[in-house]
Amino acid sequence: MIELQNVSYAYEGSTALDGIDFKIEKGESVCLLGPNGSGKSTLLKLINGLIFASSGSYLFDGEEITQKKLKDVKFSKHFHQRLGFVFQDSEAQLFCSNVYDEIAFGPRQMGMDEETVEKRVDDCLALLHLESFKSRQPYHLSGGEKKKVAIAATLALNPDVLILDEPMNGLDPRTERWLAAFIIELNRAGKTVITSTHNLELVQEISHRAILFDETHHIAADLPTEKLLENIDLLKKVNLVDEYYHVHEDHGHELFHIHNY
Amino acid sequence: MEAMPEWLTAAEVYDPPTDKDRFIDKSILSFIGLISKIKQQSGREHDRLWVSPVFKLAFTILYIVLVSSTREFTFVYIMLTYIVLVLAALPAPDIRKCLRGALIATVFTYIILLPSALHGNSYSITMIPVKVFASITAVNILSYSTRWDHIIASLKRFHFPDMFIFVFDITIKYIVMLGEFALQMLYALKLRSVGHNKSKYGSIGGVGGTLFLKSRAMSEEMYSAMECRGFTGEYHVTDKFKFSVYDGVYCALNAGFIWMFVYFQNLA
Amino acid sequence: MHIPDNYLSPSTCAVMAAVMVPVWAVAIKKVKKEVTKTKMPQLGIFAALSFLMMMFNVPLPGGTTGHAVGGTLIAILMGPSAACISVSVALMVQALLFGDGGILSFGANCFNMAFVLPFVGFYVYKFVKERFASKGGETAATILGSYFGIVVASLCAAVEFGIQPLLFTDAAGQALYCPYGLGVSIPAMVIPHLAVAGPVEVLFTLLIVNFVKKVSPDMIEEAPAKKTKSIWGLVLALICLSPIGLLASGTAWGEWGADELAGMTGYTPGGMKNEMGLKILIPDYSVSGMPEVMGYIVSAVLGVAILVIVFKLIGNVKKDDVGVPAQAK
Repeated sequence: MIELQNVSYAYEGSTALDGIDFKIEKGESVCLLGPNGSGKSTLLKLINGLIFASSGSYLFDGEEITQKKLKDVKFSKHFHQRLGFVFQDSEAQLFCSNVYDEIAFGPRQMGMDEETVEKRVDDCLALLHLESFKSRQPYHLSGGEKKKVAIAATLALNPDVLILDEPMNGLDPRTERWLAAFIIELNRAGKTVITSTHNLELVQEISHRAILFDETHHIAADLPTEKLLENIDLLKKVNLVDEYYHVHEDHGHELFHIHNY
Repeated sequence: MEAMPEWLTAAEVYDPPTDKDRFIDKSILSFIGLISKIKQQSGREHDRLWVSPVFKLAFTILYIVLVSSTREFTFVYIMLTYIVLVLAALPAPDIRKCLRGALIATVFTYIILLPSALHGNSYSITMIPVKVFASITAVNILSYSTRWDHIIASLKRFHFPDMFIFVFDITIKYIVMLGEFALQMLYALKLRSVGHNKSKYGSIGGVGGTLFLKSRAMSEEMYSAMECRGFTGEYHVTDKFKFSVYDGVYCALNAGFIWMFVYFQNLA
Repeated sequence: MHIPDNYLSPSTCAVMAAVMVPVWAVAIKKVKKEVTKTKMPQLGIFAALSFLMMMFNVPLPGGTTGHAVGGTLIAILMGPSAACISVSVALMVQALLFGDGGILSFGANCFNMAFVLPFVGFYVYKFVKERFASKGGETAATILGSYFGIVVASLCAAVEFGIQPLLFTDAAGQALYCPYGLGVSIPAMVIPHLAVAGPVEVLFTLLIVNFVKKVSPDMIEEAPAKKTKSIWGLVLALICLSPIGLLASGTAWGEWGADELAGMTGYTPGGMKNEMGLKILIPDYSVSGMPEVMGYIVSAVLGVAILVIVFKLIGNVKKDDVGVPAQAK
């Protein structure tokens, strides 16, 4: 589905991605891990066709994605419909004056009649427990609600691939748990899911495979999630965790805390 | 967990229509250009061209005044030569950016003045485009060779009030912050514009309106943050001005230009 | 609508800047009364907003795009005095740091875009809104305000251009700055604003104001209960419109004969006798008014500088092929 061949990206002299190589198959759920500034967000922009590789190539469903190809309006619109991107900052993703219009924005553009649009929007509202927010203004919702609206607006396009950039940032623990379960559900329903995060507890729940980036913008490891999380030395080496990091049974802790032993 | 609706589990069969929504891409490009221009100059450790920003600013304005005031083509030509010579000292990417804006304005000026030239007004078309080119290049050289916070701080030497300098500083900072926010919104609009948008102005209104609300929220936050740090409405710009040898040479050179201007003025 | 340097005479620029000084002083005083001293830095954020509003590409019929100034918009959202200051700061950033619009013409640009535009726009808006207190009345107010704001501002710019050939000519009667008189500059500036830029400004303003009203109605500055004295609006309009009156007494619109057009472009036949058509830039490597040897030297220096630039640019293009991403520009 998604294939990167030796992709590098540099902007105004500074490198953000260096020789990235991987392939994600249809139906996979993959986490991108890495410390701040390792290039995860840049990579997600690249996969979404917002920026283009300085060298190397990016293939989506077997077809190379280039700036020239995305100049073709039809191709570009179809490509964007197949990829759904949930931004880290949901506030910047919402630009309509009520939640209903926000979710209906995509389906309306796709030329559906208003009845079908309504069905889609209602389904999305139900799926994300947003029914009571239908006529509220997205701008005034809380952080967690904004995130849900952004996800609903993205899902309404029925994309094949769902990409989430740090989806847990700013969510309370309960919403976090709910979102993790929801991501698993979407993957089960056949969506390819790519999640960028540095939340290690989340990783093994929602993904079977994890790709680890280091501070030199390379891939440090591309392993089944459990294998990767066992390799604590590697996580330390890329500065994702500190020296106090350790594993309890099957959960990692990122915080320094007290033990009675 | 709710059951997934049927349409969400099936692959979407979709043949997109075309739409004329170049305004999104064009806006995205202008915001990227803007942000990278500001970030680039602030990422620089040292100013180019040695001279103190106070003098650079003062004499750039002087060149513009002299070039605009003179009627002697010779003098314009000498100033042009000097400005192009300084331009040649810059690194290539900066030269390219300086020239781009200046050349567009110059060509535009030629086109505008052409009808008047065809009516026999030869003075305008020989003088004004060259003057336009020299003035814009001079400002661009200042802008690309000097960090903007240095230019802004040097306004203190010209007795601009500290509060004004502070506001100016904040303006630049928030052009980047709000600009990045606007860029994200435009990206979001682009990614979800997967078909025909019947209400393009509605979308622009949404992006612009949210940007305004965001700016209000940010300004409230900034006010609280400053209040918390004990801001009382007084602000002092620290002045790190030092007179160097280069400044001396530069001032002498510019005294020469003023003399030349007066000389040609008397000649006429 | 940005006037670059060298289109207006330095003295015109000085006058316009002098006019702006009291305007700024009053605007600052008003803003200070409305917001406390500790809130002054917020003007920087509003200036940034004004700056960014001018960056949006607005769709036009046929798939092309245009820019709005957004002066009336800012005035409706924050009041005309705050708009005056924040647009002025935005224009200063453009002139000084981005090389857009002139340094000397800064005063003139502020007069048109930071004073006339927001004040005319705002007072037309307020005047209409107060007399038709319905939802439709408010929409009409926004439309008329933003339309009049930008059209009157373009008219002011046109007048500034148009008086140049009347006031500043050399001994041979040739214009020293903008060579087009009022008869050319007014239609050339105002017609595109009436037809294209005005409607763009209206749509841009209307949709943002409507969005903000829907989402956060309390954000829009509520006008104080007392009605604006419409007489002030009238006075403002008269000041702005007076140059047209002067002009109309001279020539009837649209009926310029060839002679008049020639007159308006600032050209008088006397100039023709001394000039052999268009001067070619620096013919024979010599420059008039300079000893021949000096001319050679200056030309040589300029030539060398240009060569250095060309080589640097060529070298840079080669490097670009490897390093810079396709997206950069």
